[in-house]
Amino acid sequence: MSVFAISALKVAAALGLMLANGVIMIYMLRKVLGHLHIRLGPMHVGWKGTLQTVMDVLKLLTKEDITPRAVDRWLFRLAPAVVFVPSLMAYAALPFSDTWRVTDLDTGLLYTFTALSLVPIGILMAGWASANKWSLLGGMRAAAQQIAYEVPLLLSVLPIVMLVGSTNLGTIVEAQQGTLLGVVPRWFIMNPLFWPTFLIFVVAALVETNQTPFDLSEGESEIVAGFATEYSAMKFGLLFLSEFSNQFIVSALGVTLFFGGWTLPWLPHSWYAAVPILGPAIFITKTYLGIFIMMWIRGTFPRVRIDQVMQLGWQRLIPVSLVWIVFSGIVIKVWS
Amino acid sequence: MTDRCEETLGVGLLCEGQHDPGVPPAGLRRSPSGVDGLTTEHLIINMGPQHPSTHGVLRLIIEVDGEEIVAVEVSVGYLHRGIEKLAEHRRYDAVGTLMDRGDYVSGMMGELAFALAAEQLMDVEVPRKAHWLRSLASELNRLASHLVWYGTFGLDTGAMGQFLYAMREREALLDILEALSGQRMMFNYIRPGGVVADMPLGLTEQIRTFLSTFDTYLDEYHQLLGGNEIFQMRVKGIGTIDRQMALAFGLTGANLRAAGVDFDVRRARPYAAYPELDFEVPLGTTGDAWDRYIVRMGEMRQSARMIAQLIDGMPEGAFTAKVPRIIRPNAGEAYASVESSRGETGIHLFADGTEHPYRMHYRGPSLFAAQALEEILPGHLIADAVMIVGSTDIMLGELDR
Amino acid sequence: MRPAIADIERLLAAFEETTVAEETPGVVARVSLADVGDVLAELKSAGYESLVDFDGMDTGELIELTYRMRSYSFDVELFVKTTVAYGGTIESVWYEYPSALMPERETAELFGIHLAGHPNPKRLLTTDGVAPLLRKDVPIRTVEEVRAR
Repeated sequence: MSVFAISALKVAAALGLMLANGVIMIYMLRKVLGHLHIRLGPMHVGWKGTLQTVMDVLKLLTKEDITPRAVDRWLFRLAPAVVFVPSLMAYAALPFSDTWRVTDLDTGLLYTFTALSLVPIGILMAGWASANKWSLLGGMRAAAQQIAYEVPLLLSVLPIVMLVGSTNLGTIVEAQQGTLLGVVPRWFIMNPLFWPTFLIFVVAALVETNQTPFDLSEGESEIVAGFATEYSAMKFGLLFLSEFSNQFIVSALGVTLFFGGWTLPWLPHSWYAAVPILGPAIFITKTYLGIFIMMWIRGTFPRVRIDQVMQLGWQRLIPVSLVWIVFSGIVIKVWS
Repeated sequence: MTDRCEETLGVGLLCEGQHDPGVPPAGLRRSPSGVDGLTTEHLIINMGPQHPSTHGVLRLIIEVDGEEIVAVEVSVGYLHRGIEKLAEHRRYDAVGTLMDRGDYVSGMMGELAFALAAEQLMDVEVPRKAHWLRSLASELNRLASHLVWYGTFGLDTGAMGQFLYAMREREALLDILEALSGQRMMFNYIRPGGVVADMPLGLTEQIRTFLSTFDTYLDEYHQLLGGNEIFQMRVKGIGTIDRQMALAFGLTGANLRAAGVDFDVRRARPYAAYPELDFEVPLGTTGDAWDRYIVRMGEMRQSARMIAQLIDGMPEGAFTAKVPRIIRPNAGEAYASVESSRGETGIHLFADGTEHPYRMHYRGPSLFAAQALEEILPGHLIADAVMIVGSTDIMLGELDR
Repeated sequence: MRPAIADIERLLAAFEETTVAEETPGVVARVSLADVGDVLAELKSAGYESLVDFDGMDTGELIELTYRMRSYSFDVELFVKTTVAYGGTIESVWYEYPSALMPERETAELFGIHLAGHPNPKRLLTTDGVAPLLRKDVPIRTVEEVRAR
């Protein structure tokens, strides 16, 4: 097969994963929120409502695509794509297992963050092009959040990069193999040096993916639906889908950086080679656990106010992560 | 003039009437200004009548500088049904149906206000049991109403869970109210002379079952929302209505008590069974949104306490006085007010000796709370505006009537 | 609670055409339309901090307006009544009592009277062109509408 065919297949696989992911996560969100809120969630379409999201996607595909008269047409149509494509791009570097990955990038971590940080440009475009004041506010909020939290998100993972000496996500996973005392996995989350790192990462990641308590750019009680107010049908579907996809990516990054990626320390290394599906299965299970926790937060927490988010970002997280980089740099240097 | 104004502001409404577009209309006190030498353009945003968190059809025309509110105009009337005029064409026992549709989350209190006003003009001795049943219905309904407020206040902050938890308790309350009055929300249970029906068999047990878990749930809810750091960050110190302002704007109920004014109609002008009940009136200190939250949570606890007393001490006897089938009060004027869940609901009733009221004025506490918004919202962020509107617990049904 | 009639009479002695009496709703001071603003200002300085309610009533000849005042410090309540002719003008008391802002607008539109000195004298509840609904000469439905049903 030619290089192009392989690339096309890989992109198609990522796209398929993203779509399947969206469908599963929406169902999961409904069920998780439902049970958190003492109700059942969807129950009628299919067994326990499993086909509900499929039907919803069909509905979104067949709905009338309304373009309001006052919008900036080109930007309005472009924005969902600009939101969607980076989100798809971010799958490229995720290591689902030793061998299962789209590319083996040496700059995988940076690449994924870069892809994620492109999303708010699309959101800002959507907000601006909608010619709706609520959308504009939502877009502006997204941009402000993005700028404020891009920095701590990247800074927060630097200690890990310093320890591992690589930004290749596969290498980072491999550095976490094995156990301490035969029981405790040698995941980075078990290392006290990375606890503050993890906290900053979680907060910044929640902001990056617009999750409660930082879902300000579409806070429905404040600014209606934010940047997505004027979107309908599949344009809305794309915005929606990329949001879920971002959630998946951030959770997968968390798993890769802190929870040993596709590996479980108690399993012998040869198993991963023998059963190729094992690694991806472990990886996706861990990722979905992370997503579950994000949904749990979503079902429980109120939303933070925009100025408080900004203060938290600029005044707390950035200084703290800078200090922590210096501190952990010293510790790592002294230790090794 | 109007055209130019529509072009520049986007909203024509602000420029209608006698206002020069250059002069800010009522409530818009601060004229546009640059920030730090930058000239920024103010946006005028319509918040409502169709907005997820304006609790119905409140419309706030807000002028924002970035996200900070510079000026607000409260525009109401989207739910105006002419209840006062309709009441002039209803018989006295049917006006209660209108009162239910006024404040549709706490209809019992509206009915009670009307019944009290009508009884002032009737030669009727309301039996003791009717008083107790009225208080019972009012307190059950107050709990249901406050639970709605609690849930929607949670929704305003972006927390979904509270709403559905509160709805679970409210559902139990509505079942009780249905057993009592035959209807879930539109009761028409309290009528001039007494109440429509006695307590059905087994209702006492039903209420006891409800109360046995309610206090625990209330603690849980308070921890879930009020104990949340983010919620406290959001609510403390915003929307402060101090004593002077609360009095100037005629606020009543929890909004007034949050400012530290110890005035509860149930205690200051006792009616129904309240003189015989033992309850406390929770008070706030500064009058910010957090105080209003605390006061309402305290009121729920007191209501539960009162309900327990009411079912324990429910007297025997008739549940209504002998009133003629067609009630014709003496000609005259009466004013009765009750403490509804949102404040003081007053009925100013003029009777002319016929079977219809000559004129009925319905004082809704929400109207007064809503006009105070014009004063308190400027200086806050849009996100705060949502919280402040939620904390004042306005009900558009009684605002627009 | 009801204030002593003598106190109110003493307070409002400066205003002629003022009668104070105890009626079913409470103590009622009837003042002339011209005096209302001054009477309310006087009452405010005397401790009636809050205007709790404001409404109108069509007597068939003119419109009777009721201001319900309350003093939280002294725990007393007072009704101030005045009358205005159809289509007449009332002076806004919003400067003394901001709580009158919306009730005045509402009363003005529903009784067809004019507001003077109000910062925002727009209609509150209904749209332009709607008849003053609470007037007795405005039927709930016109005769034609009733017949059409």
